[in-house]
Order: sequence, then C-alpha cells, then structure tokens
Amino acid sequence: MAERLHPLLARRLVVVTGKGGTGKTTVAAALALAAAARGRNVLVVETGRDENMPRLLGHRGGPVGHAGARAPTGPWMMRMEPHEALAEYLQLQLRVPRLVSRVLDQRGFRGLLDAAPGWRELVTLGKVWHLEQAREGGQPRFDQLVVDAPATGHGLTFLDVPRVVVSAIRSGPLRRHARWVEELVRDPERTLLLPVALAEELPARETAELVVRLREQVGVRLDRVVVNAMQPAPFPPELPDLDRRIAALPATPGPAPRTWAACAAHLASRHALNRRFSDEIGARTALPVVELPLLASGVRGPEDLRTLAAALLAGEGT
Amino acid sequence: MSPQRASAEGLLSRRVIACVGAGGVGKTTLAAAIGLGAAQRGRRVLVLTIDPARRLADALGVGALGSEPQAIPRELLSQLAVPAKGELFAMMLDMKRTFDELVTRFAPDAAARDRILANRIYQHVSDALAGSAEYSAMEKVYEMSARPEFDLVVLDTPPSAHALDFLEAPERLLGMLDSRLVQLLLHPAMSAGRLGLRLFQRGAHQAFSLIERITGFGFLEDISEFLLAFEGMSEGFRRRAEAVRRLLFGPDTAFVLAAAASGESVAHARDLLARLEEHGAKVVGVVANRIRAWPDGAPPPLPGPGEREAWRDDLTRAFAARHGGAFPARLAATAALDVLDGYAAAVSRDGEATAPLLAAASLRGCFVRRIPELPRDVHDLAGLAWIAQRFFEEEQEQP
Repeated sequence: MAERLHPLLARRLVVVTGKGGTGKTTVAAALALAAAARGRNVLVVETGRDENMPRLLGHRGGPVGHAGARAPTGPWMMRMEPHEALAEYLQLQLRVPRLVSRVLDQRGFRGLLDAAPGWRELVTLGKVWHLEQAREGGQPRFDQLVVDAPATGHGLTFLDVPRVVVSAIRSGPLRRHARWVEELVRDPERTLLLPVALAEELPARETAELVVRLREQVGVRLDRVVVNAMQPAPFPPELPDLDRRIAALPATPGPAPRTWAACAAHLASRHALNRRFSDEIGARTALPVVELPLLASGVRGPEDLRTLAAALLAGEGT
Repeated sequence: MSPQRASAEGLLSRRVIACVGAGGVGKTTLAAAIGLGAAQRGRRVLVLTIDPARRLADALGVGALGSEPQAIPRELLSQLAVPAKGELFAMMLDMKRTFDELVTRFAPDAAARDRILANRIYQHVSDALAGSAEYSAMEKVYEMSARPEFDLVVLDTPPSAHALDFLEAPERLLGMLDSRLVQLLLHPAMSAGRLGLRLFQRGAHQAFSLIERITGFGFLEDISEFLLAFEGMSEGFRRRAEAVRRLLFGPDTAFVLAAAASGESVAHARDLLARLEEHGAKVVGVVANRIRAWPDGAPPPLPGPGEREAWRDDLTRAFAARHGGAFPARLAATAALDVLDGYAAAVSRDGEATAPLLAAASLRGCFVRRIPELPRDVHDLAGLAWIAQRFFEEEQEQP
C-alpha cells in the first residue's frame, strides 16, 4: 500500500500566517518538527525581529540569525535578515562585490532603504524562492520550506508584494524575478498557505477577512485553517454541569466549593467560547478547521511541539 | 516601594496615554477601559481605536469608519458612575484615508495634490510607505489632543511588526525626503561646485546605476516624479512631524505597555520597554493582561503529593451524599481534581511567564498591574468598567 504524504508535508513551501499572538511561530515549529521526524529535510524560516525557533526546537546556543543552523531535533532554521538577503541578491545579480558593498554602506542609501516600502518583503520572498530552487547533486537542497510569515495585517502585504512590484515596475531584472516569486506563491502544487487563528471574536473575524482577501487578491492555495490554543473540554461528557455540582457541595477538601466551582466554570466558559468561534471560523471561511489544544503549561519545547504536531497532522496521510 | 513610583492616578493629568504592545495582547480593550476609568474620574476623554472587535465597537458607538468622535450616551455613562463633568468619546482611525487627507492638506495647490494621488508609485505604496499608517495615526492623535473639548486622548496603537515603528515613522519619512540622495534625484542638475559634493555625487551615481540595473529603465523616473510631487509639501509636513514628536516624547504623554502571558509576548514587551526608554518615551505603567488568576486573588490550598487519594475519597463521598447512589461520584471527584490541577498549572505558568517583565518594569519605577482573564470576551461597557477598576484602583503588591 502506497503511503500518502500528509497534505501539509507534501508542499514545497508552507507559509504560516496570522495575526500577532495567534501562535504562528509555534505552528510553524510543530510542522517543521513533524516533517523532520518523517525524515524530510526541512528549513523553517522566521521573519520577525525576535527569534523563537532555537528555543522551541531544542537548539542550545542562542540565536542562529540569517546564516542559520540545524536544530538537534532535525529541522534547519534561520531568521531572515532583509539587509543580508538584499546584499546577497545584488551580489548575485551584478557580480561586482565592491560596487554593491560600497552602495549598501552609503548612509544616504541606507536612509532611502529605511523608508522604502516593500523591499523587505520582496527580498524575503526572493530568498525563499532561491532556497526552494537550490539543488545539491541534482536533488532539492530542502524537501520543504516552512515560513513563519510576518505578523498582523502585514501578512497579506507580504505575499502580495511580488504582484505589486510586477505592476509598479515596467521592466528590468527585478520585475522578472518578482514574477518568478509570484508564480511560486500562486502555484497550488508547490505552495500552501496555512492561516492560524484563535477562537475568539476579533481573531475569528480577522481570519475570515484574511482568507477572503488571500483567495481573491493573492490567489494562493488554502485548504484548511488552524485554530490554536483551544481550551479542551474540562468535564467528562456525562458531567456537563460539574461546576454547579461542585458549588452545591456542602464542603470540599482544600479550596472552598465556591472557589473550586469558579475555576471549573472559568475553564468551561473558555471552552464554550472557543468552541463557538472555532465553528464560526469554519463557517465563514468555508474551510476545514484543525484545532490545536491549549496546553496548560504553555509550549516549553520539542515535547510540547510533538503533542501539537500530532493534532496538526491527525486524520490524513502520514 | 520607591517614593517616586508612577501611579495609575498620575496618568489622569496627561494629555495623551498611548497603549503599546504586540498584537493580540488586548491593547484595544485596555485603551477603552483606561478611557472609561478616566471619564469615571471626571475627565473628558477621547479613545482613539484602531480595530476593535465588532461588539466592542458597537458598545462604543464607533461602527462606522473615519467618522468624527462619537459620544457615549450620558445615560450609559451615568449607570457606570461617570460624574456629570466626565465625558467619553470614541473614534476609529481609518489609516488610508488619513494619509490621503495629509496629502490633501499639505499639497501646495490642487494640481500638486492630484499629481500625487494619481502617481502610480503613490497608488501602489501609500498603503505600505514605511510607517505611513503609523504616521497617520500619530497625526490624528496630535490633531485630537489639540481640541479643547477633550482633556485626554487615549490611543490604541496600530498593529505593526514592531510596535516602535509608529514612533519612528515621522523621522523616517522626513529622513528620506531630506536625504541628499533623494535631493539629487529631485535636482539632478544641482551644480557640483564643492569637492565634498562632487564626491557625494559620485557615490550617488553609483547608487542610481545600481538601482537602474536592477529595476530597469523608467523606475527611477517614476520615483523621482513621486518624490518631486511630495517635495512641495515637505515643509508643512516637516513642521507637523516635529510637533507630533514633541507631543509624544514630551511631558504630556505617558505610555502604558501591555503584554500577554506567553514567552514570545513577554520577550517582545521587555525589548519594547528598553527601546521606548532609549527613545525618551515615558513608560509609566506595565500591564500583564489576561492572566489566569485565582478567583479570590490568593492561591487556595492544593493537594500535596500524598493527599490526592484522600481528597478524591472525600470528594467522592461528598458527591455521593449529595446526589445519591446512581451519580458517578468517583468520576466527578476525579474530574474535579483534574480541573483544579489544570487551573493551577495555568495560573502558575502565567505568573512565571510574566514575572520577569513585571520585575523589570518595577525596577524602572513603573506601576504594574495584573489583569485577570475573564471567562468571556470583554465586549460591553460593564466589562470595561471591571478592567478600569483593576487598572486604577488596585494598588497591588509589587513583584
């Protein structure tokens, strides 16, 4: 029987997106860990200022930066540094290292870059494209790339930048390269976008809006939404009113019945709220929802990621 | 406790309170709650919000975008113990519109304005022009803080990859317009009299030739047309940016930093706290928001390792006595113990995650607050009043 690769592991590029605070980074790390555990050569790319992968993936020795490193749990990881990616690109294009470094070191040029929009996103995606193309001995250098996209509404701008560049620039190599990147982003065989949301009111609405705009504007493939940090059902199914039953006890060991019941009611109420908005996300995006549990002690490292990865990949393929 | 520690009450004498923090930490709700709390203390307050949840927007009466400040009706305020002289307004910022307005205001004439708005580069980048959304928000704060009908403006800062982007936005935009590289792009015929300038021009030409080789013919022309259109308005723009800067970093503005209880959020907040101080911003309060806390404040007694079975037996007996023999008393007892374990783990995890931030903030003389997570979303004025009470009234033990 042929093993079918799980859809999340079958794409060359998975871009994990979502608002700040939804746990994108955790989901990207969990996916990379799962891919590595199946023997895939995977690179996970962080794009923010902060670097969280080393801690999550069990790498000792602090930040790995743009140069990257391999975590002991298997995945390669790097934190994209746009200035370095730009320098690499220009060197590759112009092959006049002295000129490129002289210009990049100019104070005036740096000032211009500080204010210029879009180039960070473009060189980041360009570098991702380049890594996707990389070959070693005729084989792809990486089986899979997982990109932890920049937070917030900028997540949309991020993937849309190649299209904007193609329409704003009339000619030249940059336009051609932006088109290649755009083709990669829109190729449903190679690229998958994985939105991560929280099951609360505002994130639910934002996710629904994001998914609609990504479909219409960017034309990128989406086949599921991850709803992260779902409060698990706190009571066994045969005891749906456990909180009230605790409150009704005349006495309890330790905490007073009222205190104990308030803790139980809190968890039950968070669970009901998450349930409601997770369903709403599914209905509004018309996509299957993959729910990841809220871990009571937080996500501390590879062990916790494995729990999340199992939930992320449950059901389909291997 | 050091005598010079800031207090939440001290915020009430400012003209602007800016709530900063990463996305998803509850800044919008916190800003609205601080606004309500200030109104309850007799201030006339405007809350400038970026993107409130729908029901919160409805509660604040700011469903529509880009409108004028909306007053929260007096009868609602009275129910929330807002005194007669206290007022609460809310307004939602529409970033894109504000930037178009800026162009409209500072363009020297109608022709220049239309040239900018129609420029192909502007149309593509005005959404993304570095910090333009953030800059527009700052503009609005300045405009509103100057209005006599408000004592205080509470600002919910824009979501951004890094919350500091918005503070640096005016300088970045001005820096670009002022840069000699841009000036040379605008005035290529500028005479090269002095040696320094000639040397500079050589560097600039290298930069331009590099850009041209990558972007092809015509791009620099489009850019310079765009910049030329902007140049006419840069003087008004510059004066305004400087005034915005003085307001933000002057004595009239206080910053409140919010963080959620995740490792990422806390790391981000600590970095932000240090960087805000470098910029000369006054961070007076730090809020650990939506923390899982014990219902009564203090931790209740929890089962020790040897006590668990005894507790389970006690609970089983209590459930059976209460509900009779058919009730699954042992299952209920086990579930009740699991609930308590789960809750205790969450409380200790949130406490541990936020402790380093609150300790650092306390050392710097900030007041610190832990605001508990509520079982439900906060989406009405009563919920905001609950948060406001914790923010303004609870003088908590410092970490």
